[in-house]
Amino acid sequence: MALLSVRDLVVRFRTHDGTVYAVNGVSYDVEEGETLGLVGESGCGKSVTNLAVMQLLPRPAGRIEGGEVRFEDIDLTRASEAQMRDLRGRDIAMIFQDPMTSLNPVLTIEEQMVETIQAHRAVTRREARERAIELLRMVGIPNPELRLGSFPHHFSGGMRQRVMIAMALALEPKLLIADEPTTALDVTIQAQVLELLQRLTTERGTAVVLITHDLGVVAGMTGRINVMYAGFVVETAPTPELFAHPRHPYTVGLLHSIPRLDSPEGEPLIPIEGTPPDLRRAPVGCPFAPRCAWRLPACWETGPSLEPLEAGATIRTTGPQATHRVSCWNPATAEEAVAGAPLRDGFVAAPPPGGSGGRGAGPVAEEGERVVFTADADEAAALPGAHGLPEPPATTEPWR
Amino acid sequence: MSMPVAAPAPVSGATSDGGDLLQVTDLRMFFPITQGIVFARHVGDVRAVDGVSLSVGRGETLGLVGESGCGKSTAGRAILRLYRPTGGRIVFDGTDITRLEGAPLRRMRRRMQMIFQDPYASLNPRMTASGIVGEPLDIHDIGTRDERRARIRELFGVVGLDPDYGERYPHEFSGGQRQRIGVARALAVNPDLIIADEPISALDVSIQAQIINLLERLQAQFGLTYVFIAHDLSVVRFTSDRIAVMYLGRIVEVAGSRELNERPLHPYSVALLSAVPIPDPSVEARRRRVILKGDVPNPAAPPPGCHFHTRCWLRERLGNPAECETVSPPLTEYRPGHFAACHFADRTQGMPESATALTGTSAPEAAGGAPA
Repeated sequence: MALLSVRDLVVRFRTHDGTVYAVNGVSYDVEEGETLGLVGESGCGKSVTNLAVMQLLPRPAGRIEGGEVRFEDIDLTRASEAQMRDLRGRDIAMIFQDPMTSLNPVLTIEEQMVETIQAHRAVTRREARERAIELLRMVGIPNPELRLGSFPHHFSGGMRQRVMIAMALALEPKLLIADEPTTALDVTIQAQVLELLQRLTTERGTAVVLITHDLGVVAGMTGRINVMYAGFVVETAPTPELFAHPRHPYTVGLLHSIPRLDSPEGEPLIPIEGTPPDLRRAPVGCPFAPRCAWRLPACWETGPSLEPLEAGATIRTTGPQATHRVSCWNPATAEEAVAGAPLRDGFVAAPPPGGSGGRGAGPVAEEGERVVFTADADEAAALPGAHGLPEPPATTEPWR
Repeated sequence: MSMPVAAPAPVSGATSDGGDLLQVTDLRMFFPITQGIVFARHVGDVRAVDGVSLSVGRGETLGLVGESGCGKSTAGRAILRLYRPTGGRIVFDGTDITRLEGAPLRRMRRRMQMIFQDPYASLNPRMTASGIVGEPLDIHDIGTRDERRARIRELFGVVGLDPDYGERYPHEFSGGQRQRIGVARALAVNPDLIIADEPISALDVSIQAQIINLLERLQAQFGLTYVFIAHDLSVVRFTSDRIAVMYLGRIVEVAGSRELNERPLHPYSVALLSAVPIPDPSVEARRRRVILKGDVPNPAAPPPGCHFHTRCWLRERLGNPAECETVSPPLTEYRPGHFAACHFADRTQGMPESATALTGTSAPEAAGGAPA
């Protein structure tokens, strides 16, 4: 029995602009002491998934419209607010990207930490204060006795994030959800904070869900990764396996589109063309199809499900032996993953159903570079099955 | 083995076939701190840029890298004369522009443009995309109405936008498309130099490569010279011919892109390189990060001597030599074209930190980093 078990989670936002299809059937498990990375771009649903787990979705717009979230034996989607309040902080803690907005600016660090501790533990103020000092020392804040009286704005960004980590770990939670904990920090400070986070959670055996857009961060920090796109988990595997043998075209694309510090000189970047889909339209087919170089005609119509690479294999959802699963009708082969493009003779990505002719003078393609094109939501909406962009028109005369 | 010689300022471009387009000498940009409401007393300065010398060759890309608050953006803006520098000299294509004002400055600005970090904040939400891209043409009074219109359409094509979308407003475009509009605007007046201030950091990962490739293509197409300002060494390494590393208002190291990555001589550069995560678990498992203590000091009261000495791992290794605290190290050429501002730069490569901090693939063959 996993510590956290998310099954077919569906989250929608009802807004004045219509329904936002934020999370579209996400399932994953987290074992005790495990570190899971959730990787994806903004709007892929990685943060919303975790807000849903914590029952912190902004109401009334955001609602869980399907699925189940189990933590130990409790179904969190049915838990009362009192039950949740008891659970948050004590069993599941969360760290956010921007510590300045998650700390209360008009209370001292002492007031905030003591309040957190006393809310869940029957301790005196003095004992809570002792504990707070111990925690600040643990995260490397110099002169913790003095700094307790400081306000959040007295601290630098890295220090604030240390305070957040101290507060999150104050009650020894079983699960820590860290949502882009270092994105707002400079690289050398990021290194400090990640090292701290890793050391403390390993020492305590805390399970961690690390949400980030940075593949470099998950490579060093996690045991297992879910790659998310447009509210779906498109690929999941243990970290070494995912980086060694990525199969989903989106994962392959991500790995080829970021400059690496250790890539060979002169190796070109292969961008993923287009932009992520507009989540205000119900997903039809594979969400990545409009940007995918591997797509088949079926990709426009039917969304694939997350399946093991070998059909019929027993599925393990947690641990270093977890089954590598991918949600794709036409996954990249090992050679294609290295090359970053389909290598099959004469293979052409399937055009969208219904065609896309009749658009004006198109943008220009350079040799060796695919056409870049603009999104036109109205036109794209008219295309059945396409939630992102229409196919770019044929190349016109190159610009001089 | 000869002794390291003090750098002739400015540090010249390694591959300057057509001569240097831009020469900056001892640039200083201080922002005054004042107290009092009626009579503002001058009580100090934020020394954002504190003696920066650099040069950029024609067609070259110079990467300017450092953490927030190191002065890299201020340096970029001062070079474009968006500020009036406190001191130093800026020579653009043979003309001293340090004290230029009015019409001559405006004429010079036609040849120098900027691309900003945040495509959401840097585009006027009440102007159409065509208006934004065409505004520089209006300001500099270039061409007739029809010529401008044709030029705008042409520019849209160049940066990969559909020219028919010119009448749309910024909010109708995605982040990557907005950045393309910003690039088109910078290109409108046919500049020689473009200062790109973190042009991709606000974009999603899958979009960043599109903009990097676009900038590279435009450089080849129009022979542009770039100063590429960024905090991310892996991006700068990819885009730049040479890299200058800044810390607290000063340049601490300048070298060819590859040289800097394989053989950094300044202890801060080593720490910066080691802090960049690499998307490969097997590489990450081999690396040992150099974790710097504490935060960047206050630029209004920088530490005496070497600005980095309060956080320096190398100084600690060498038993805290006194000169780090008293003498500010000059930018010195240790190898051809490779400058570092550290009293002990020749010891950096011999340290185990250097060997394990980097990618693990290019351990230094010869310890010591003998000066050229």
